[in-house]
Amino acid sequence: MNSLTELHLDALSEVFNVGAGRAAASLSDIVGEEVRLSVPSVEIRKSSEIDVSAMGLQSERFGTVHQTFSGSFEAEAILLFTEEHALEIVRDMMGSQISLEDLAEFEQEAMCELGNIILNACLSAMADMLNIPLNCSLPDYTVATTEEIFRRVSDDLDQPYVLLLHIDLAIERRHSEGHLIFLLSSTSLKGLIIQLERFLGAV
Amino acid sequence: MAQLLSPSPFAMEQIFNSISLGLIVLDAQQTVHLWNGWVERHTGIPAKQVIGKHISEAFEELPSRAILNAITNTLSYGLPVVLSNALHRSPLPLFQRNEQDDGKSRIDQSITITPITAEYGERHCLIQISDSTTSIKREKILRTHSEALKREATTDSLTGIYNRRFFDEHYKMALGHAVRHSVPMSVFMVDIDYFKEYNDSYGHVAGDKALIQVAAALRKQLMRATDVLARFGGEEFILMLPNMAPDSAMLFAEKLRLAVWDLNIPHINSRISQRISVSIGFSNFYKHPDLDANSLLKCADAALYEAKKAGRNQSQYLSLQHFNMQTTAPAGTLHKSVSN
Repeated sequence: MNSLTELHLDALSEVFNVGAGRAAASLSDIVGEEVRLSVPSVEIRKSSEIDVSAMGLQSERFGTVHQTFSGSFEAEAILLFTEEHALEIVRDMMGSQISLEDLAEFEQEAMCELGNIILNACLSAMADMLNIPLNCSLPDYTVATTEEIFRRVSDDLDQPYVLLLHIDLAIERRHSEGHLIFLLSSTSLKGLIIQLERFLGAV
Repeated sequence: MAQLLSPSPFAMEQIFNSISLGLIVLDAQQTVHLWNGWVERHTGIPAKQVIGKHISEAFEELPSRAILNAITNTLSYGLPVVLSNALHRSPLPLFQRNEQDDGKSRIDQSITITPITAEYGERHCLIQISDSTTSIKREKILRTHSEALKREATTDSLTGIYNRRFFDEHYKMALGHAVRHSVPMSVFMVDIDYFKEYNDSYGHVAGDKALIQVAAALRKQLMRATDVLARFGGEEFILMLPNMAPDSAMLFAEKLRLAVWDLNIPHINSRISQRISVSIGFSNFYKHPDLDANSLLKCADAALYEAKKAGRNQSQYLSLQHFNMQTTAPAGTLHKSVSN
């Protein structure tokens, strides 16, 4: 069995929304304003099927935060914010006015932290609810074009599955959208399905 | 994997204490297991005083809530955490000790917290603290410099208005915007009449002064943030006004011409009158099909040529349609005079 049913996706959506809630709480603490974060949709796709329309990507370039994690399954997580949104978020959080390439060392670090908060919250929710302990690398931040991201996703033959989360992030009056991509190997996908089955059986 | 020659000729403590990075290790109960020399120096608290204490009691004041939460998260989930300087500044009470004066300033910090596994399988965490004070200072200096350079690179040093490089960059963007949003855009070329004669009679210093005055008079006519005035060459200026249709452009060209005229700068060798005047050529883009970005500029330049040919001290409009016909058909009287 190599695909997720509607029921599995619903369960994952629940898990990630719990994570989003935790991330929102941490972000609110930092920003000092109410931050709302939700995961309105979760999809699973073959890496080879990923293209612009599938992701609804409108931007040319992205700010990406990347972490690899291992444990009962291994995966790579890439959090994407469009150039515009990444800038808005950092500006909101720090009140600076600069272009994405100029994002200086300490703003890049801030993007890393933002990504780290969202990724960790999602992963910790998975660990809690699906009862899977995970190890994880430190985050790194890069700017990438749409093509570079697609190439990276589709060239990864070891990880033929992509779990795609759409993320809504609202800070005060500003509304931003992001994407969280998990690159999964077939073994990891199987592992994930087993954990989801267990979770669904338990609730 | 780091490895030490065994038996090692020195203790690991020496390395921990020499490293210029703060290192704190906590166990699952958040009790301090390691407190290195760097942390000692920046807190003034010796290791032997804090080893075995809970992290919340280790410092002279309570660490920030963010870092305490981060520690709890790393210990319970085993996920690494980054606390950036930009968002936290100074989560731990660490100080730069200044021998000269008694005042101590708090260190800007970048912190990472990573899980580590203790020998008996229990999860600990390592807190690494780096001092980002210098890099922030450097960053601020670099930013100030780069802003100044950016300003200089786009400014004409004599008149203080934009230079041609700035105009060229922004012209393409503005025209692209006009094409996409189907809005008009007007371009004006302004040339000071008999400026060579002015320099010959009054000298280059006076010539420079006149250029500054003319540039300032033209700049005063701009109303919107998107309007751009630039020095295009010697005594030639160029303006682009997005959202300006031909009928308003005619009025505006006259406003420009009169603004310079009213400066009343004496010019005894002008063959127009006894003062400095300008000739203006202008054109307009509006939903023109197959536009080549240069043709609008060439068209305004052709209009300027007509204004000079017709006796200077006037503005001439040339429509883009007529200009494109002119370039293929023999020259005719396609241009139209608006003032003399």
